Formats: sequence, C-alpha cells, structure tokens
Amino acid sequence: MADLASVIREECNPPMLSRDMSYHDITDQISSVTEWKKTPKQWWILITITSSLLLLLLAMLTYLVSTGIGVWGNNSPAGWAWDITNFVWWIGIGHAGTLISAILFLLRQKWRTAINRAAEAMTIFAVACAAIFPLFHTGRPWRAVYWLFPIPNTYLHMWQNYRSPLEWDVFAVSTYGTVSILFWYTGLIPDLATLRDRSPNGLRKVMYGIFSLGWRGSSTHWKHYEKAYMILAGISTPLVLSVHTIVSFDFAVSVIPGWHTTVFPPYFVGGAIFSGFAMVMTLLLLSRWALHLENIITMRHLEVMNKVILATSMIVGYSYGTEFFIAWYSGDIYERFHFFNRITGPYWWAWWTMCICNVVIPQFFWVKKMRRNIAVMFIISITTNIGMWFERFVIIVLSLHRDFLPSSWGYFRPTWVDVCTYLGTFGLFLTLYLLFVKFLPMIAIGEVKSTLSAQNHVEHVYAHYLETYEGAETKETHGLA
Amino acid sequence: MSLNNDTPKPMSNELIQISMPLTQKAGKKYWRSLDELADTKEFREWVTKEFPGGVDMLEGSSRRNVLKIMAASFGMAGLAACRRPMEHVLPASRGIEDFVPGQAYFYSSIFQHAGEAMGILVETHDGRPTKIEGNPQHPYSLGASTVHAQASLLSMYDPDRAQKVAKSGNESGWDEFNSFVISEWMLRLGRGDGLRFLSGRILSPSYRALKASTLKAYPNAKWVEYEPFAAENELAGTVTAFGQPLTAHYHFDQANVTVALDSDFLGVDSGTVLPIKRWTKNRHLHEGATELNRLYAVESRHSLTGMNADHRLRLRSTEIPAFVADLMAAVEGQAPSGADKRSKWIGVLAKELNANKGKSVVIAGPNQPPAVHALCFALNQQLGNIGQTITFTKPVYETADAGVSALKSLVGEINNGQVKQLVVLGGNPAFTAPYDLHIGDAIKKVDTSIFVGADPNETWQLVTWALPEAHYLECWGDAVAPDGTPSIQQPLIAPLYGGKSQAETVAMLTGAKDQSGYDIVKNYWLPQFPAKGQKAEDAWEKALNDGIIPGIKEPEVKVSADVAKAKAAAASLPKQGASGLEVVFYPDDWVYDGSYANNGWLQELPHPVTKLVWDNAALVSHQTMLKLGLIDGQIVNLKRGNFIVEMPVLMQPGHADDSLTVLLGYGREQCGRVGDGVGFNGYPLRTTAAYNIATDLTLEKTEKREMMVSTQTQDSMDGRHPIIEASLTEFHEKPNFVEEFAEKPPTVGLYQQMVWDKGYQWGMSIDLTSCIGCHACTIACQAENNIPIVGKEQVHRGRHMHWIRVDRYYTGSVEDAEAVTQPIPCMQCENAPCENVCPVDATVHSPEGLNEQVYNRCVGTRYCLNNCPYKVRRFNFLNWHRHITEVEKMAFNPDVTVRMRGVMEKCTYCIQRIQETRIRVKLEGHRQNKPPVPIKDGDIVTACQQTCPADAIVFGNILDTGSRVSKLKKLERDYQLLGELDTRPRTTYLAKIRNTNPELA
Repeated sequence: MADLASVIREECNPPMLSRDMSYHDITDQISSVTEWKKTPKQWWILITITSSLLLLLLAMLTYLVSTGIGVWGNNSPAGWAWDITNFVWWIGIGHAGTLISAILFLLRQKWRTAINRAAEAMTIFAVACAAIFPLFHTGRPWRAVYWLFPIPNTYLHMWQNYRSPLEWDVFAVSTYGTVSILFWYTGLIPDLATLRDRSPNGLRKVMYGIFSLGWRGSSTHWKHYEKAYMILAGISTPLVLSVHTIVSFDFAVSVIPGWHTTVFPPYFVGGAIFSGFAMVMTLLLLSRWALHLENIITMRHLEVMNKVILATSMIVGYSYGTEFFIAWYSGDIYERFHFFNRITGPYWWAWWTMCICNVVIPQFFWVKKMRRNIAVMFIISITTNIGMWFERFVIIVLSLHRDFLPSSWGYFRPTWVDVCTYLGTFGLFLTLYLLFVKFLPMIAIGEVKSTLSAQNHVEHVYAHYLETYEGAETKETHGLA
Repeated sequence: MSLNNDTPKPMSNELIQISMPLTQKAGKKYWRSLDELADTKEFREWVTKEFPGGVDMLEGSSRRNVLKIMAASFGMAGLAACRRPMEHVLPASRGIEDFVPGQAYFYSSIFQHAGEAMGILVETHDGRPTKIEGNPQHPYSLGASTVHAQASLLSMYDPDRAQKVAKSGNESGWDEFNSFVISEWMLRLGRGDGLRFLSGRILSPSYRALKASTLKAYPNAKWVEYEPFAAENELAGTVTAFGQPLTAHYHFDQANVTVALDSDFLGVDSGTVLPIKRWTKNRHLHEGATELNRLYAVESRHSLTGMNADHRLRLRSTEIPAFVADLMAAVEGQAPSGADKRSKWIGVLAKELNANKGKSVVIAGPNQPPAVHALCFALNQQLGNIGQTITFTKPVYETADAGVSALKSLVGEINNGQVKQLVVLGGNPAFTAPYDLHIGDAIKKVDTSIFVGADPNETWQLVTWALPEAHYLECWGDAVAPDGTPSIQQPLIAPLYGGKSQAETVAMLTGAKDQSGYDIVKNYWLPQFPAKGQKAEDAWEKALNDGIIPGIKEPEVKVSADVAKAKAAAASLPKQGASGLEVVFYPDDWVYDGSYANNGWLQELPHPVTKLVWDNAALVSHQTMLKLGLIDGQIVNLKRGNFIVEMPVLMQPGHADDSLTVLLGYGREQCGRVGDGVGFNGYPLRTTAAYNIATDLTLEKTEKREMMVSTQTQDSMDGRHPIIEASLTEFHEKPNFVEEFAEKPPTVGLYQQMVWDKGYQWGMSIDLTSCIGCHACTIACQAENNIPIVGKEQVHRGRHMHWIRVDRYYTGSVEDAEAVTQPIPCMQCENAPCENVCPVDATVHSPEGLNEQVYNRCVGTRYCLNNCPYKVRRFNFLNWHRHITEVEKMAFNPDVTVRMRGVMEKCTYCIQRIQETRIRVKLEGHRQNKPPVPIKDGDIVTACQQTCPADAIVFGNILDTGSRVSKLKKLERDYQLLGELDTRPRTTYLAKIRNTNPELA
C-alpha cells in the first residue's frame, strides 16, 4: 500500500514547488533578485557583453540603411535570405510565451506558473528582435516605416495592397506584439505592487508605484484582474495560431516551389512552438542555475516542457515528410526538383543540419532519464534552435536559389554584415532579458502562490491519508512529519 | 553673343583662359548654373563688355572681383555646355522648324568598327547624344545596330578619355602644341624623309584625300595602315584566287546552304549588322515562309555562328585547311573513304553543296591562312556561287602599305634610325601590335613622335606629344560602307575635352588648306556631287539628312576564281593539324581589340557564348581540361621558350580538343577606372609569325586561380523546356508540336480576373528561330533605360541589372554541345505573381496590360523579385550611380527615371516610347481638330526590337488582328514560357526550329 501511495505521489502529482516553502519564502526569493543591494559583478559582465552586441546591431543597421541592402548577401534570385530567416526565427521563438501564458492558462495547466513570466518577457523581446527585419530588410526603410501602414497618402495615389501577405504580416505581427505586451503587463501588476510594498522610499517605490496602478490586493482587484487576465488569454490564444500562420502565408501565397504549399500554417505553428520552447528552456536553465531557482522551477516543469519539445519535433518531422511526399505525388517537375535539390544540391548541408537538429536529436526525450538530465536538455534546446534557424534558411534560400528557369539559378553567400546583424539581435534580446531579470519579478509571484496553496492542499490530504492508513514511521520517512 | 552661335567667332585670349576649366578633368560644371547665371544682370553686363582684361581683374582680387570671375567661368561653362555643333547639322527623320527643348532629335552619322562602317541615327536630347540606332536607309544597317554601335555612346562620355595634350608625359596644351608645330615641326619636315604615319584602316574618303595630298606634299613620307583584326588573309586569298585584292560580299540571304569554316560571320568577324540581316532573312517561318536556310559550322571554338548552326563540327583550326581540301575534292566527286565523323561530314557537305549550286556559300574565317581563303573561293567557283551568292568589289580601304607586313617594315625603319617624325593616328599599337615587333621600344626611339588617341593608353605614355582625339560623335568626318556607300559623320556635341579628329590633326601637322573637320569633309564632298553651286549645297544637306550619299557605290567586279592556282597554293598547306597544342587568337566579342576595355556596358555584357563578364579566358574543351587536369578559372602559363603569359582557362562545351582559344583585348593596364587590370593580356603571345594561330606554345599548370564570373551558372535546361526546339522536318510533320510541352493544368484564380478587350493591349513575340543571341537587345535596353553597371564582384553576387537578358543553354553532350539562346525581358504577365505580393502597390497592372513598376512607391521588400518565376526583376541593392561622374550623367535618357538604391526595376516594354507616341498621335489629331488617330502597328518600337538585327522581337497591340505581333502569336509555334503557372505572359515565344539535315542528325 505504501508503495502504491508513493507511486501516486511521485508520479501523478509530483510537487511543483519544494515542499518546505511558505508564501513568504516565495515572495522573498523572487523579489530578492530585484532587490540586490549590490548588483553582482556577473550581471555587469553579462550586460556589458550583451549591450556591446546591441551596439553592434545598431552599427550594422546604420551601415545598412546608409549604404543599402547590398551590404548583405541578398541577391537575385535570393531576394530574401538571412533577413527573413532571422525574422521568422525570432517570431517563432516569440510563440512560446503566449502559448504558455494563454493556452496553458485556459487549459488549467498549473505547471506553467513557474515559467510563464519569463516566457512572456522572452516573447516580447523576441518579437522586438523579429520586428527589426521586416522594416530593415526593405530597400527604403524610411519609406516602409509608414507606407506599410494605412496612413492616407494622396501624393502617391497609394493605398496598401491588401492582397499582399506582407501587408497581412504588418497587422499580424503588430497585433501580436501589442497583445503580448498587454498580457504581460496585466500579469505583472500584482507583483509590481508587491515590489512597491517591499521597496524603501525613493525612486524605486515611485516607479513601481506608478506601474502597479494602485493595486492594493483587494478581492475586487483580484476579481477584476482574474477576469481581465482570462479575457486577454482568450484574445491571445487565436493569435498564437494566427501570427505564424500569416507569417507562413508570406511563403505559401507565392508561386515558388518549396513555398507554394498548404501545409505551411500548421507546420509553421508547430515549428514556432518547438523553437519557442527550446529558447525558453535555454534561458530558464541558465536563470535557474544563476539565480538558484531550483526550488521554484523544478524538474517537473522541465520535464513537461521537454515533452512538448518532443511532441512539436514530431510535428515538424512529419511536416518535412509530408512536403517530400506531396512533391513526389504531385508529379510537378519543379517541386520534385526542389526537394531533390534540398537534399543533394549545393546547400545539402543546410538541409541535413536542419533534419538532424530538429528531428533526430529530440528523439532522446523518449527516454525519461534524458528528459530529466539538465545537460542533455540544455544541449537539445540549443540544437533545436540551430535546427529551427536552418529550417527557415532552407525554406527561404533553398527555395529561391533554384526556381523555375535554370538560367537564373544562383547561390547566396552571407556577408560579415549578415552575421553581425544576426549576432546583434542577440544583443538586443539578451540585454532586454537581463534588464528584465534585474528590475522585474521573473516569476509570477501571485500565480506561484496559487499553486502552492493547491499543492499544500494535496499534501495535506495525503498526510491525512497516511495517518489514517499507515504508521507514523512511514510518515517520517516521507518527510511529512 | 547669343547662346546659339551660328558661326564660330574667334575667342579672345582672355576668354579662352576663363573658359579653361571646362576642358579640365573635373566635368562638374557642364550643366550647372546656366539657368541661374545666364540671365543675371551682372552676367549680361559682363558678356557685353567683351571681356575686358580678365587677368587684370584677377590681380585686383577683391571679393567682388573674384565672384565676378567665378560667375563668368561658370557662365562660360554653361554656354559651352549647350555644345551645339557650330556647323549646320540636320536631323534625319524630321525637319527642325524650331528647336523644342526636351524633345529628342535624331541625326544621321556613321559608326566604324572592325574596319567596316555602318550608318546610324543618333538620338539627342538638348544637345546630348543619348542613344544610337541603326539608320534604316543605310544598306549596312537597315535600321538595326550592333552591340558596339550602341555602346560607343558610353565611350564618348568616358571620364577617363584623353583630355589634355601631353608633352613627354607632362601636361601641356593645344597652344603649346600649336606653337611647336609652327616653330619646330613644320621646319623639320622637308620632303618627309623621316616622316611616317601609322593609322588604323581609313574608311573616310576625305581623310584618304588628305592622306593622298599629304603624301604628295611630302613625297618621301610613308603612311602605314594597321588594324589588329582585319581580314588580311581573305584579302590575300582574293589576290591568289582572282589576281587582285577584292572585298568579298556574302549574300547569305540568297544561299540555301552556308558552310562556315572557323568563321564567325554572325559575330565578331563583322563590324556591321548586314551579315546577320542577310542570314536571318531566311530564318523566319512566317508570312508564307516554310523553309529555312541551313548553316553548317566547322570551327575550333564555339562561336556565336556555331551556336546558330544547324550542324556544328568541332575541329581544330589547324585541321581546317585539310578539311577544305578534302571538301573540295569531295565536291569534285572524290568522296572521302573514311567512316569517321569528319568524312561523313565532308560527304554530306559535298552533297548539299552540289545540290545547291549557285545557292550556297562557303566562307572561311579570318584566322585561316590565305590559301584556305583562295581554296574556298575556288570551291565557291566550282559551285557557281561566285557572282551569285558571293560578289566582289574593290576594297574601300587602302591595301598597299597596310597590314602586319607594312607595320613590320615600319618598325624596321624606325629601328634603323630612318624615322625622325612618327605620327600615330588613333588605335593603340603599343598594346595591339604583334609582340615581337616591340613597337613600344621602337616608338621611344623616334625623335619626335606624335600620338592622337582616344584615351591615355599604353601608346600614349611613349610619345613626345600625345593629343586627345575627338570621339566620332564629336567631330566631322565621313566613311564608306564596305560596298562603297558613303555617309557623313556629323558631330552631335562639341568635343567634351577639346579633342581633334585624326584628319584635323593631320591637317594641322601638314599645314593643309582646310583645317577644321567641317571644311575637310565638306570641301571634299561638294565637288563630288554632280550638281554644282546651291544644288550641291542642297545635296550636301540631303546627305546629312539621309545619312547616305546616294548614287555612289563600288561597282561589282566580275571575276572568276583561278581554281588551279588556288589549288596549287593550297597544296602547300599542312595536311595535318598542329602536332601539339594550337592556340587561336580572337578579339573578345565585346571589348574587341581592347579599345572598348573602359566601356562598362561592354565589360558587363555577358560574352555571347561563355556568358563570362569582366574577364577573358583561354577556352578549352572538356576533354582537354580532363587531360590536363584543369578546372575552370585555374591559371595556366602559356610558354614560348622562357616567355610566359598567364591566362585562366575556361571549359567551353563544344570546343575542339587540343585547341585553345585566347580572347584578346583584355588585360589593359592604362585605359581608365573601368578596364584597368581587368582580365588577362594575351597579345604578348601574338607575334608576326604566330599571328592568328600559334602552334609553338606550351601549356604549364599553375595552382593559381582566377574568379570567373558569369551571369549564368547553369548551362543545361535540367529537363525543363524554357526553350522548345524541333527540327524543320518535325515541325512540318507536326506544326503544333509545342503543345506537347505545354502543360495546362486547370487553374482557378483567387481574385477576379481583369478582362483585356479594350483599347491597346501590348504584347511581344520573340522568335527563337531567328534570334541569334547577339546581345544587341541587352545593350540597347541598357542605353535606353539608363541601366547601371554593377561590376564584377556584384555580378558574382548575382546583382546584375539587365532588363532583357539572353539565356543560353547547351543541349547534347558536353563534347558536341549545341547551344540555344533566349532573350528574356519582363513577360508582362496578365496574372502577374509579382503584383499581388507587393504591400505598397508599387507594381500594378495598366489597363493596357503592362506590368508597371512605380519607382517612387517602391519600398524594396523584394517579394516581387522572389515571386517572379522568370527572375526578370532587378533590385538596386546599392547605389549603383554612386561613382558616376557628371559627364557620364549626360548619357542618361531623360525620358526614363534613374532609379535610386532600394527600389526594384524591370522592363516595361519601353513605356516611355509608348507614351511619347501616344502623345504625338494625340497632338496630331488635336492639331487637325479631329479625334486622336489610333496608334498604328509599328508606330511604337521597343529599344530591343529596334536594334535587333535578326528581327526576332516584335511588339504591338495584340487586339489589333492586323498587327504583326498578333499574327505571330497566332502561329502554331507560339508558346508561353512557364505557361503552366497561369501567369498568362504577354511576351510569348516562337519555338526554335533548326533546319537539321537528316543525314547528320
């Protein structure tokens, strides 16, 4: 009986938090990061590196705008290359946050609470990185910055072309960015109030005070908050699916073999969740280690995420297979050639890198030991993001470089500016993340507490069960005494 | 002093000094400030004061005075910027009642290339020549023009041209030179004992007259004419065969069968479009024509002519003499016995030729020895072609004291110290002369050497006095076409850098009566007209207007070849090819002998066969590459003894084995910012002994590599059918054979389709049967539409900008590859994939079916480029005009926007020409108080169509059932490129038909 009980306890309902935590401990631990008396040297070192990369991004963009797209390797036939690859990659990464926050919230997946805040922040930062490219990849960004929006412009007799997927993109991405920020901010309000209340007088208190919008934690506040959060979750949920669906239309609507395919929307969404979860994993593991959050971000969270990564890897792998099957089944010589060229053409290495990273390596997660091994999951989170970058590269450059007329086939080579621009976006992303870690609670305090209450309830019930059916010794051995 | 001076007025010295900056290198002032300055009160006062003592004013250097001087020099720059020629020039196509600023005017002139002259029309905008077209009235143009004629325009605006007189390499001026001529030069001439002239081939009657009078005045002087690539061997062949030097005229239009033996008569061998015009006349399968002529090519390198041959045999150049001899024997009935390909060919050729007696042409290339030419003439004689498909006239140029032997004796005289004064007129002998003559060293030995040259080139550096030569668009002149038809060369603009024509320089140096080019030309021609007095003046004006002087032509010389003598001469020819490697020299198809090396349009124009840009190479066959273990771009040392020339190799499908083709003209060191150091100089391999073909060279591998850049990296069609091809027999059996290739999947549009049933609906038809792939369309489009060049590195990155490109694919095996070509402009799809993806509506459809590009709306997302299945859209990745000088800007066509970086551009069927015609037609109707008359078929011609020598491109209204284009589109051969994508292109193709011989197929 005792064995069965422990099986139930460990397997079906493992603790989401360490059992010895109180509400106060949670508040203390999470807030403490934002209340460093002296910011650790490591943080300064890290932000020096990341902000240098951010400066590199600014320098590259300045060079790009002042000189022209030609500083990148883009050419004819590959009108898009690293620019749109990076765009899709970043926007894909930006999918995990909203998925975790909104969909898992609606599905009552309580394990999300430990990671949703960081994931949401990551979403916003990733969308910010992504948004650079649609604007700066244009030949004349100073025009594109407002001509893409429906602002009346009589002098050119111009209105936006709503048949263009790029125009759909403008709305999809900006809506997603706006809702993500709102969702994130709404969730932050109770925690900002907590920080306000813990702050000594001064600028800190004023700033948190302003942004916590007068939150006092009354039941009315909580009631409104819960409703608002629920509504925003409801709004965000379709966006998770729509953004990447529309991004995939950038390709699917065209006539180019490798692009012109109806499988793209689910394929892209699956891939986005895949890469988003991998990026969340990378960052969480680092934060968890650096900030000693093992008791809050527990192995259970990590394992569940690894399962999602495995599942989405399978979706992506299935999509790859479908593409090949359809290309063969269609009998279309251009499609057939394109997919043959993916494997054997001059960019064979890109396709194989993608395949190994995205389809082969995540299969390790079938093994429970691997799912629970920090080193393994860290490595796989990295390879997944490499693989997903290559997936976009494969779709974009490999489709473009050899299309219909052999006379126009070409080859794309990146320039140093391509590489530095991409590196620079990491600067933006990580700098924002470091600032986030320093100034905002990186775990949703209020939400975690709600899981603690639920967990305590289960523990209590279980202890009662043991008391009733087992001896006190067993209780002790289980550490519940 | 008015802006439009009708008669030249002498300039005061002060004025010349003030206007000096104009002739200086910085061309920035040409068009600046004229509007602002020409009408200011101060300026008018300044001008009316007749420039009193400008120097004094400079001395009193108050701020006010300095400003005055500056204003004057700017103003003078502006005045001269109008650059109206001072003599009367008359438009060709319509008369000037009054000059309308902004309107294009056409002037006739004449263009010389490869020792031949062709009539042209030059379009000018406000005194700037902007485009060159063929002169429809000229027999060697018939309205079409060549790549070089088109591109010569850019050479005129070349900022690196010679700009100042140089004395021993130091800057000098015309005044100094003038005083040198008067005070020293003239005194030393005497009877011309030490006086020698070296010029290119002179096609100008007035210049020849001047030459004659010069030689008369200085009887001991000598004048040598040398062209690096003249058909000298053919001329020598006529001497053998006919006993006199003659020019052969090949009437390909009257030949059913043409056999080209190492001859590239459609390509680099010809300076005019006539051979193409004539040959393609029977390459059209419409308007009742059901048969094609047949072309056999036997050659070592894969030439433009070889690409167009119905059958092509690759054979080393040194094996061609024996081939001709065997062919001769076979035609006479001694069929070869062997069973190999060569014997089979000879048998088939002999049969074909005998079946087409009097209706065939056998033509040998300029690299073949004179005896081969003589033998070919004898063969043609046997076939009854002489007088039928091949006619002869006396050469329109000097044959005595001309050519490589004359040059050799001139250098001998110099080395013997017999030459005291050497005048080098044009060209660049230090670069192009046979290497063993070491002409550069010789020139340096001459006491006084004078060079008049277009650019500060290799020769320029060696002479005592170097003088800038006026471009042919800048000076008066004349020239005769190969048949003797003369045309006047009219200047379209005053010399940009104050150069003089060769004739003017000679006149100056010899103290001739007529000093100005205008006088030299006009005073030569007035007595030539049958009418005298005012009527002669009228005839002169008519000649200027028409671009030809009618009634003057070389009479045909009726000859018959001395077959026995030709055979005897041929007996000495080797029966076998060279034992080792043969190296054959050709001028590069575009930079030619090197004179166009600084012309960016030509550097970036893909080689018609290899598609190479910004480079030359030694072309070798696939087998030879394998045998020698070479890869493309690998540099080899070509050695003659210890003498080494480096050259990268490039595999050319269809090239003969153990043969190497070296394209000359590259590797210039002193030509300007475009051409300096581009490519490899092969001239040092060319000697008087190994002048056309070298057999004494050995090849040595190196590990060095050169990046070879071409606009097309994929040579095969990869199982697709962008070009649909059939033999004539197949076509006759199944005229609708293109339907086998046309997939028409059922398609449903997402959006409502437009209906195109009103007004004008523009469309284009391109006939792949007649297209020869000469690239004239590409360069015409470049000139018309202000298309920039991007440079080798950027072409390598895939960023070339040509709006109409010529795709070339090889079919068959790599050894015996056949080539097919296909010009690709924008297809103007009715259902254009580019249009729906543009977020800002920068590419939209016009009601007339044009796929328009709105440059100022474009933000440059490049989605349209990605989604274009034809990849005809061109993006301004960088500011391609960044390094362009003010002078070069004058070459722009003002009717077409110059695109900034960051925007997409592409062909729009020359929409500016459509609009111009529409406005003209509307105004014509308006003036007559009538509704606008409809635009007639042929009123609008696109730039590519206009220049196409093969008449392969036809543009017009497809709703007009009578228009040429709609008739062509109704032909069964008509197909849509990638029609299965439902793009519904307005540009369609007529499938390629080769007239293959079943016996060889």
